Amino acid sequence: MKSEKLQNIQKMLQGQGYISDGSIAMSIFLAMQLEKPLLIEGPAGVGKTEVAKVMAKALETDLIRLQCYEGLDSTHALYEWNYQHQLLYLKMQEAEGKDSKQLEETIFSDRFLLKRPILQAITKASKPVLLIDEIDRADEEFESFLLEVLSDWQVTIPEIGTIKATHKPQIILTGNRTRELSEALRRRCLYLWIDYPDFEKELAIVKTKVPEVDAKLGQQICAFMKELRKLKLEKTPGISETIDWARALASMHLTHLDKQIVEDTLGVVLKDWQDIRHTQDALSELFEKTGVVSRIG
Amino acid sequence: MEEPLIKHQTSISGNLVLLCRFLRKKGFPLSATEEADALEAITHLPIDKEKYFKQALKAILSKNQYQYNKFDGYYEEFWTQLSKASDSKVKEKQEQKDKKTKAQQQDARFDSLKNWLNLSASEEEKEVSTFSDLEVLIKKNFADLSEDEMKLMMRLLKRLAKKVAHQKSRLRKTSKKHKKLDLKRTIRLNMRKGGDIQQLVYSDLKDKKLKLVLLCDVSKSMDLYSRFFVHLIYAFQNAYDKIETFVFSTALHRVSTILDNQEFEKAFDTISDRVPHWSGGTTIGSCLQDFVADFGNGMLDKKTIVLILSDGWDTGEPEIIKSAMRSIYKKSRKVIWLNPLAGSPDFAPEAIGMKTALPYIDVLAPAHNLESLKWALQQIQKRRNMVNQQLKL
Repeated sequence: MKSEKLQNIQKMLQGQGYISDGSIAMSIFLAMQLEKPLLIEGPAGVGKTEVAKVMAKALETDLIRLQCYEGLDSTHALYEWNYQHQLLYLKMQEAEGKDSKQLEETIFSDRFLLKRPILQAITKASKPVLLIDEIDRADEEFESFLLEVLSDWQVTIPEIGTIKATHKPQIILTGNRTRELSEALRRRCLYLWIDYPDFEKELAIVKTKVPEVDAKLGQQICAFMKELRKLKLEKTPGISETIDWARALASMHLTHLDKQIVEDTLGVVLKDWQDIRHTQDALSELFEKTGVVSRIG
Repeated sequence: MEEPLIKHQTSISGNLVLLCRFLRKKGFPLSATEEADALEAITHLPIDKEKYFKQALKAILSKNQYQYNKFDGYYEEFWTQLSKASDSKVKEKQEQKDKKTKAQQQDARFDSLKNWLNLSASEEEKEVSTFSDLEVLIKKNFADLSEDEMKLMMRLLKRLAKKVAHQKSRLRKTSKKHKKLDLKRTIRLNMRKGGDIQQLVYSDLKDKKLKLVLLCDVSKSMDLYSRFFVHLIYAFQNAYDKIETFVFSTALHRVSTILDNQEFEKAFDTISDRVPHWSGGTTIGSCLQDFVADFGNGMLDKKTIVLILSDGWDTGEPEIIKSAMRSIYKKSRKVIWLNPLAGSPDFAPEAIGMKTALPYIDVLAPAHNLESLKWALQQIQKRRNMVNQQLKL
């Protein structure tokens, strides 16, 4: 029974168009079994965020996303009182001459509580997937605040009291390593490192995401990307760039790469002026390695 | 009495605990929680596939990229060791030497760095014995730092630079964080809506935005201190947004871009490649003059603090140094000269370079140990006319 479950995960991911390898499936499987948060790190554009999206879809539950940024604090992550509404409500009730004691109770009730992602996640009726995206961008204070939520699964609101989680949400944290995360946070999570895919995996991804692409073109694109990533670039292109590129080339009904086309469409893959220039210089060498023959000259 | 590290165990849980112990020796920070998680995880796994077993343990026991990549190797190593260790023979010592932990690798890099700065190892080792606590470190001369202390110092320095860089101004600015209610703005905003307070405005302290120019002497006479100062520059470069860094001995080199956003070791290598006269003689005057001529107008203004790290031993003309220092002094907010020699009790600014420059310096500080450095850096925030001329020792 149990072994089926593990296989199911891989199938489930594949069903959603996410090509995974053994370690990704295993990490997701364990995160679900042990009900632990999963911390995913890796370079930009390798599908870290996608894991959470696919998981939510496959489990047919809601995805709640908390995008982290510098200065994010608990009012944006947890809850906030809807002050304006409370005020207007008070005015209305006062005009009608209501009792002030009763009013206080209504004002601090669910009705005027703005639930932010984390509170939303733990009060959901069904078990949601909570994606805490780019956690390394948030301040260290927020990280420690998160620890409290992750360990107790409850949130205390002074006016109402403690709200316990109805379900432990499935938490996915992602990071780009712009800042080292604290040991304390790491210890509470399972860890997964997603790297740039190898040739076969990338080809499989391209085939799934861009089915209209010519078989040979797909292979050439992946081989080219593989070599491209070996160059020392400012911003190494990820899988999303590969897919964009494949889509762009497929829409032009090309069946194979040639030098002119690559030069013209380099902007889809590289987003930095110096990278583009650097690559243009190294283009012939890249072509030699990937076996693309120039039609010009 | 020594416990043998690896004994032959038949139960899977026993082996798992051994694996955790093995990994701990390799620098994995594993606690009982991870062990418990691992034990629970294997109950969910299909029994027949060993591949899954490894993957599952990898997900649970590794906690960062380095460990994640190393795990497979260690895992194999463990099982080979285990099969050999069938009779509870101690294999601990052998296995320890095999692979270097990350910390050790850093040591190695540090060693090369040290060699590059021409320091004799014997002197270092003498100091290792005294390595104890922070208290000592704070008063210790930078030239006498042992390697361990150096590492600790690097950490302290990073924190210090960050603290100095992020000082708050007394001015307040509107903030999204709910720090402090800004009554004035709250009222002004809500007056438009008829006087009822509907929206609250918060404020926070504004960051002081100062610009910093670092000029670091890396000549032979500064040798003992320059390895330390390079750390200092590095710490500052990465804490301050607006900072320009130069190193000089006989010629001036701009190194800001090299230090920016690079790992220390990498940056260090690049600098050493590009700066040819490291540990040579000094011509402070002409270097400062070059700086004024090439960068003075662009970089110096009344918000800029100039920090010079040098001992003032100059082989050039004192007149040059005077004119260069005068224009730097006039154009900048403040000039701080850190002189490591000033730490000794019988110091007097007698080096010719130092003497001529003295009238154009706001703060002359010793900067030979952490305590004095801290004092000097605190002066960065003060106004020109409010600082003392010298730190009284």
